[in-house]
Amino acid sequence: MFFHIVLERNMQLHPRHFGRNLRENLVAKLMKDVEGTCSGQHGFVVAITGIENIGKGLIRDGTGFVSFPVKYQCVVFRPFKGEILEAVVTMVNKMGFFAEAGPVQIFVSNHLIPDDMEFQSGDMPNYTTSDGSVKIQKDSEVRLKIIGTRVDATEIFCIGTIKDDFLGVINDPASV
Amino acid sequence: MSIEPFNRLVKLAARAFYDDITTKGDNQPKTGRSDNRGIAVVVLDALSRRQWVREEDLAKDLKLHSKQLRRTLRFFEEEKLVTRDHRKETAKGAKIFSAAVAATADGQQHTKEGEEKIKLHTHSYCCLDYAQIYDVVRYRLHRMRKKLKDELEDKNTVQEYVCPNCGKRYNALDALQLISLEDEYFHCESCNGELVAESDKLASQDVGDGDSNARRQRREKLKDMLQNMEVQLKPLMEQINRVKDLPAPEFGTLQAWEARAHAQRRAENGESSAMDPSKSSHGLGYGGTPMPFLGDTKVEVDFGNEGKGNDVKSEADITGQKILPPWMIKQGMNLTKEQRGEVKQEAKMDGTLAAPEYSDDKKSNAEDNDKAFQDEYFKAYYAALIKRQEEEAAKSRQVGMKSKRDLNEGDEGEDNVDWQEAPVAGDANGNYKVNDLNVEADATAEDEDDIDWEES
Ligand SMILES: [Zn+2]
Repeated sequence: MFFHIVLERNMQLHPRHFGRNLRENLVAKLMKDVEGTCSGQHGFVVAITGIENIGKGLIRDGTGFVSFPVKYQCVVFRPFKGEILEAVVTMVNKMGFFAEAGPVQIFVSNHLIPDDMEFQSGDMPNYTTSDGSVKIQKDSEVRLKIIGTRVDATEIFCIGTIKDDFLGVINDPASV
Repeated sequence: MSIEPFNRLVKLAARAFYDDITTKGDNQPKTGRSDNRGIAVVVLDALSRRQWVREEDLAKDLKLHSKQLRRTLRFFEEEKLVTRDHRKETAKGAKIFSAAVAATADGQQHTKEGEEKIKLHTHSYCCLDYAQIYDVVRYRLHRMRKKLKDELEDKNTVQEYVCPNCGKRYNALDALQLISLEDEYFHCESCNGELVAESDKLASQDVGDGDSNARRQRREKLKDMLQNMEVQLKPLMEQINRVKDLPAPEFGTLQAWEARAHAQRRAENGESSAMDPSKSSHGLGYGGTPMPFLGDTKVEVDFGNEGKGNDVKSEADITGQKILPPWMIKQGMNLTKEQRGEVKQEAKMDGTLAAPEYSDDKKSNAEDNDKAFQDEYFKAYYAALIKRQEEEAAKSRQVGMKSKRDLNEGDEGEDNVDWQEAPVAGDANGNYKVNDLNVEADATAEDEDDIDWEES
C-alpha cells in the first residue's frame, strides 16, 4: 500500500556545499540518500515530494560538517499481509517462484501454487497446468496475495500465494 | 410474496450467531445478574413481527430499558441486519404516533396547530433489512467455511523447511537466503544440505516428531469444527437456499414506507383515487398482515406541513409591521443602497417563508401601510426616473419590463406572486444592463404607464 507521509532526517552537509545553493544541495543529497531505501517501519521510500521544513544547522566539532534536521514529504510503499499485489516473476525453481512488485521481493512456495500446476524444469523452468493453457515462468505477471511479511530494520520480504480466487497469471509474455 | 421464509431465516440466524451475544456498557460489571445474553435473539424475533417501529415503543413492548435496546440495535446496525433512522419530531408527533400504534387510525387527529409547542426530540426507528440479512448470513457462512478450509489446507500458512542433515528449520520467509545458484532447491545455511518442505509427509516423519503431532491434532480439530459447522448450521443453510430465489421484503426508507402506508390507508378509506392502491398494497400487504401504523403516518405527514405553515404565519405576524410593502422592494432594487439593504432583508424572508399563508398575512399588513409608503415611493420613484434617464438605457429597459409585469398582475387582483418575483427581477437588473441598449424609448413609455396605474 502506498502512503504519503512526512518523515524527518538529520542531514550532514559538507562545508563545501555552503553558500547560496545550500538548500538545493541539501535537497539533492536528501533525495540521493533516501529515495529507494527501505525502513521496516515505513516501507520503501519511493519518492520525495516536498520539503516541509529545514531546521537550524548545527556545526559538528572537529569536522566542520553541519547537520540539518529536514522534514520532508514522501511517498512510501509498505506491503501488508492480506494485500493483493501484481508482481513480475523473477525466478522459478522447484521450491516455488520469486516475484517483484517494485522494490518488494515476494516468494510464492510451491504449495501455494494451485495443485493443477506442475513444475517443469529446463532452460526456462516454469509451472504449467496439465493442459498447458497457463504457464508461470520468468517475466510472467502474476496477481498474488501477501500472506506473510518479514520486516527487518532495513528490509521487507514477503511471501505470497496464488492459490485463491482471481489470483495467478494476469499476463503471460510468452503468449503475447 | 411472503415474508415468512425470511422471518424464519432471521430467527435461525439469530439463534445460530447471536445467541450468546451480550451488549453491555463498558462501565457495567459483568455479573450474573446483568447477564443479558439472549436479548439479541428476542429483539430480532420481535423485529421480525414488525416493519418500521419506533425504538421507544419496541422497548416498551419488550419491557426492556430503552438504553439496553438501543445498544442491542446499534450492534445489529453494525452487523448490517437492521436499518435505523433518526429524526426530529415534536412531542405531539410522538403522541400521535403512539395513538396510531394502538391502531385507532381514523384520520381525525388534526388538533389545533396553534397550541402546538414546537419542541423537537430525536426519535429513532428501526426495521429489519431482509435483503441485506440474506447477504450477510450468506457471507458469514462463506467466511466461516473458507477460514476452516484454508487452515485445513495450509493455504495461508508459511511453508516450513527442514534440513535432513542437521535438523535446522527454516521457513518461506528465509527463502532469499536459501536459494542456491547450482540447482533449484533450497540449501541449508550451515551444512548446505538440501532442504525438504515440511508438509512432505515422509520428511516430516523423520524430523521434528513433536511438532507434526501437534499439527496432526490441529488438523483433526479443524476437521471436526468444519463437520460440526456443516451439521449444526444445516437448517440455516437450507433456509438460505429456500429463500434464494424469493424477492426479499423491502420496506424502503422510513419516509418511503410512511408515504406508502399513508397512500394505502387513503386508498382503503376511499379518500383518494389519485393514490395508487395496487402499488401500496403491493408494498405492504405481506400475507394480508394488518398495518397498525397506517394512521399515524398520515398525521405525521400532515403535521409536517401544517406545522410549518403555522410557524410561518406567526413569524409573519410579528414582523408584519416591519415588512416594507412590495413597492419599496422594487424601488429599492432600482435605487439607493440603503433601500437595497432593506430589500435584502425582504428577499431573505421571501426566500425562507414561501408558504401561501405568509403571502396572505403579509398582504393585509402591506395594504395597511400602503398609503404611508406610496408617497415616499413616488418621490423616490421620480427621483429615480430622472437619474435613470441619464443612465444607460438597459437599466431603464429592465425597470420598464418589470413595471409592465406588475401592471398586469395588479389588474389580476394583486396576486402575491409579483411580491415574490419583484426582488428576483430586481436582482437580475444588473444582468440585463448590457443587452438592450436600443430600447430606451419604449421603456420610458412603459414606465409612465406604470405610474399612471399606481396613481389610479
Ligand atoms: Zn543443515
